[in-house]
Order: sequence, then structure tokens, then C-alpha cells
Amino acid sequence: MKCEQAREQLPDYLADGLDPEERSELEEHFAGCASCREEAAAWTRLGELTAEEPSPALRARFEAMLEAYEEGLGRRAREQRTSGGSAVPGWLRGWWPQRPALQFACSVGFLIVGLGAGHLLTARGAADGQLSQLREEVHNMREMVALSLMQQQSASERLRGVNWSYRVDRPDSEVLAALLRTVKYDPSVDVRLAAADALRQFSQYPAVRQGLVEALGRQKSPLVQIALIDLLVDIRDRRAAGALRQLGADTSLEYVVRERVEQGLEKLGMGEKSWAR
Amino acid sequence: MNGTPSVDSPNDEVLMLAVENGDARKLAVLFDRHHRVLFHFYLRLTGDRDASEDLVQDVFFRMLKYRQTYRPGMDFATWMYRIARNARTDYFRKRSREVALEEGWDAAGDADAAPGRGLEARQEAAMLRRALAKLPEEKREVLVLSRFQNLRYEQIGELLGCDVGAVKVRVYRALRELREIYSQISGRKAS
Repeated sequence: MKCEQAREQLPDYLADGLDPEERSELEEHFAGCASCREEAAAWTRLGELTAEEPSPALRARFEAMLEAYEEGLGRRAREQRTSGGSAVPGWLRGWWPQRPALQFACSVGFLIVGLGAGHLLTARGAADGQLSQLREEVHNMREMVALSLMQQQSASERLRGVNWSYRVDRPDSEVLAALLRTVKYDPSVDVRLAAADALRQFSQYPAVRQGLVEALGRQKSPLVQIALIDLLVDIRDRRAAGALRQLGADTSLEYVVRERVEQGLEKLGMGEKSWAR
Repeated sequence: MNGTPSVDSPNDEVLMLAVENGDARKLAVLFDRHHRVLFHFYLRLTGDRDASEDLVQDVFFRMLKYRQTYRPGMDFATWMYRIARNARTDYFRKRSREVALEEGWDAAGDADAAPGRGLEARQEAAMLRRALAKLPEEKREVLVLSRFQNLRYEQIGELLGCDVGAVKVRVYRALRELREIYSQISGRKAS
């Protein structure tokens, strides 16, 4: 057997797709040809590479996602029931048939029309449509995962939820509210800190700015206080100076935090002198 | 060599149809069966643990969202890997491509550092990983799919949009290049 033939057969050999006769012929060739033998050996060695296992958190995240999804389905079903079939827009309801059989027939009709129209569309157009749909789905998924994780019992899961929020480009108000709730009320300092950091990227939203000012007022942990002071100073919110002054008036404030308040006010152009007024 | 899991009752296809018909819980069974293999697929391609876990999560979510695209009679594994490849493309479009690969690859090799294995075997494994990481992405992928994910050439062909003959050629070329890189790294001349 020549090398050329051997190379042709190699992929089948590797996939166990040769009959015994072809197999032994090829192995005979390997015995006398180092090059082909090495290629088969590389395949064998490759198979011996082990891989790490995923962390247990992967399953927890999957479960959280599935639960969030089922909850979402349940909510949608309830909404549809209470709104008396509002899935059909008002202008359609007038002629949309009430009998299921007719509804089905209509649906099939639409499907056929849709398929026909689909055929007429260019492949490019369809691909673009699919892509944007895909983006939208992924966007929704990230929101959902972030939300469901932020409601978990374990602090590390909530932390993950906060970190998921970084992947949301345009958060809806639910995600922002969850992050703000977390920064205000989460019992874990780590989680509150992470939420404060995560909110930095959404600081252009008025609700976030307002929420951050409120969060600073409630904060007892010096670490979180400092993180929030830095954030409010950096985003130069007009309410920042007021919030900082209010915090500075607290006599039980830790020294490091007080120092940060003063630095912050200076940065905002409201240093000691104007503050003392 | 068939990559689909052993055909327990109910098989993947039946489960996916149940998910499609509204029984989302059945996805948990599919997760049990496939999440490790998907994780390894991503880990071997990217060398990045965190990214691999995120991507696995993403795949199962997409299975839910795109359940309607699954049709009776479709090969589940091929459908799953199609979603997996799309998820990866989207993920790395956002992050700068492949940056993590070589840095992260050592981490992916940790399993080889198990004390039970001989030093030489561990060094060999580490070199092979490096060689695999240096392989152009499409070649690495075809090797990972055929060698580790145990997909049949027909399934890979369907996934990559080419016929079985072309898959064999790709596997062969990728293997050849891997061996060459490996020989360079290990200091042995490719014969």
C-alpha cells in the first residue's frame, strides 16, 4: 500500500469505519511507514487528553434559568387569561374567528402565506432577520438569568446574577430595579459592592442615579459607602454633593469614609470652604 | 462512533419534542446528558473555563427559545452543535476573539497534572495541548468534533455544510498539521 492510499483511508480507520481486511492492510503499512504511523499515533494521543469538569455552579445556573423560564411562561399564561385573550390585537379581534377549528385553519393559512413569502425573500434578508432575532433572544436571556440569580438564597449566586447584568446592553427597568434593590438591601457586603460597580455602567439612567443617592443614605458598610461615594462623584450627579454632605453630618461615620466624603466634595468643586458655609 | 448518547428510553429526540410541546422540565434531562460534553467542546476550543460555562448555559437557553426550530426526525446532536457553534460565534464577536486561548490553555490542562500520571505523560499532554491551541480554529474544531465529541463524519458534514468526503479531507489535514506543530514543539522533526 502506498502512503497516498493510506492517507485516504486514515480518517475511516480513525473512525472505526474500515472492514477487518482493509484495517490490517493499513496497519501493515504503518509498520513500515513512520510518517503515517505518527499521524495515527497523534490521533490516539489526542484521545488521551483529559478535560476538567464544569463547576457545580453550572447546574445551579441552569436550574435557575429553567425555573425563571417556567415562571415566565406561567405569568404569560395568567396574563393572557386575565386579559381575555389579548394576545390578539384589538383591530384583529373583530374578525378573528372564535371557534378553535377556524382559528387553526386561519393559522395554517398564514403559515402557508408566510412560507411562500419566506421563499421570496433573499437569503441575505432572512439571515439578517434571524441574526437580529438571535440577538434579541440572547439579550432577553441575559436579563432573565441576571434577574433569577439575583433572587437566589446563596450570596455567591446573587453575586453571579449581578455579574450577569454586565452582559445586558440595554437593561429593562426590571433589571435596573433589581440591581438597585440589591445595592440597597442585600445582606451581603460583597453582593452590594458588586451591584454598586455594576450600576456604574448604567449611570446614564435617571432612575439609577436617583437610586444610588438613596442607597448611599441607607448604607452602613464603610466599603460600600466608599464605593457609592466614588461612583456618585464620578458620574457628577447634581444630587451628589447634597448626599455627601448629609452623610458627612453623621457623627458615627468611620474616619476613612469621612475622608472620602471630603475628597469627593472637593472633586465636585464643593470643598471644605463652601461646605462649611 | 455515534456521538448521540446511548438510546435510553426516552431518547434525546423524544425529549426535545416534549420540550417543544411545552414540557420545559424535560430540558433538565437533556442538560444531564449533554452539559459535560458541551463544556468539554468549548473548553477544548477556547481553553477558557468561564467562557465555556457561560456558553453551555447559553446553549440550553437557546434550546428553549428556539425549540420550534427542532423538527421531528432531526438528529438532536447535530441540532445541538449547530446552536453551540452559533452561540460561540456570537460570544466571541462581542469579546475580542481568541485572546484567552493560549493563556487559558494551561488551566484546561489541569486535569493532566493529576499526581497519578507520570511526568513524561503529563509533559506530552501539555505539548499536545499547546499544539492543538496553535492549530487554526477551523482545524481545531474539526478535530475536536471528530475526536472528542465523537460525532460521525455525516453529522460533522451536516454541521459544517459539506459532504462526508470533504470532512475526511479536513480531518486528515488537521491531524497532519497537528502532528507537524507537535513535532516542532517537542523538538522532534516531522517525518
